[in-house]
Amino acid sequence: MTVASQVKQTLASLKGARGTLRVYSTQTREEEARSMYTDAIVVTSSIIADLENRLQTLEFEEPQYKGN
Amino acid sequence: MNELTQIILKSIALFFLVWAAVRLMGKRNMSQINPFSFISYIVIAIVATLMSINLINLATGFITLIVWAAFPIALDYLSIKSRLMHQLINGKEAVLIKHGKIMEENLMRVRMTGEDLLAQLRSKNAFNMADVEFAVMETNGTINPYFKSDKKPVTMHDLEKMSAPQAEPQTVVLDGNMLEEPLASLGLNPQWLSTELDKMGVSLENVFLGQVDSSGDLYVDFFDDAVELPQPKVKEMLYATFEKAQADLLTFNLQTEDEKAKEMYSKNYQSLEDLLNKLRPYLLH
Repeated sequence: MTVASQVKQTLASLKGARGTLRVYSTQTREEEARSMYTDAIVVTSSIIADLENRLQTLEFEEPQYKGN
Repeated sequence: MNELTQIILKSIALFFLVWAAVRLMGKRNMSQINPFSFISYIVIAIVATLMSINLINLATGFITLIVWAAFPIALDYLSIKSRLMHQLINGKEAVLIKHGKIMEENLMRVRMTGEDLLAQLRSKNAFNMADVEFAVMETNGTINPYFKSDKKPVTMHDLEKMSAPQAEPQTVVLDGNMLEEPLASLGLNPQWLSTELDKMGVSLENVFLGQVDSSGDLYVDFFDDAVELPQPKVKEMLYATFEKAQADLLTFNLQTEDEKAKEMYSKNYQSLEDLLNKLRPYLLH
């Protein structure tokens, strides 16, 4: 497995986690817990953005593995 | 026969009258009433009995009933309005143990022996006198001990651990029937419930009890106890996902030779670390 596809995998699981967080941030009844989940979404999103940037660089560096 | 019907009719009428009077007199638990209202209840009961079996005439009985029902209500009202009256009517609580020492005079005043005190303390899980810092006898006769600080049950605060705030769970399914009101109070609709049940692969009729917890997860219990279905583990999974992602970031950080990427990975590793610390009380119980 190339680095790019590993990063892609992590990216996918982080995106899934962000989705779950989003569900909890809407269905939780406690205000404090809800803002906690919302904060977590922000943090996760910034990590996702960073990884996406990195992925672009990686795919540029090893174009033969693009799409894997 | 005529007398019998009279007794029946009177009894029924008095039943509802006494019921109304007792309801009016308050909603306190029988074991928590003070001796005085206990007497009022007994007088009302006896008078009602005597009236319904024709031992005293109706007029006398009614007057007695009204007085014994109205006075406790009036006194209750007064004791709410004035502190002094409250003390006169209900008495004052007596301190029985102070700074870990038994106050013998107060014990005498409430007419309790040492054995009575010990028995009452035991019922509050205070088997060892040495553990009790303070104990007070409330006006209704119960004894409440306050434990020494090192003998108190440990709380999350003592452990210096964060705990997630939680609202009370709501029961949304009982006996295979959907309860619309609690569902609506959660802002959910019947479609949500059927979707959740579909996800688990069960039908509503098989569910004995369904509760939605503070974070909106559904817990179900089935009629058929042989059926084992996974209960929601979404939060644990979520936590595990983040932990895995964090480990991945560390791996990438070690694998790459690009300085900028290394920095980015370690920064995000750190922010995931912070996030996990913050989420731990919410996701892991």
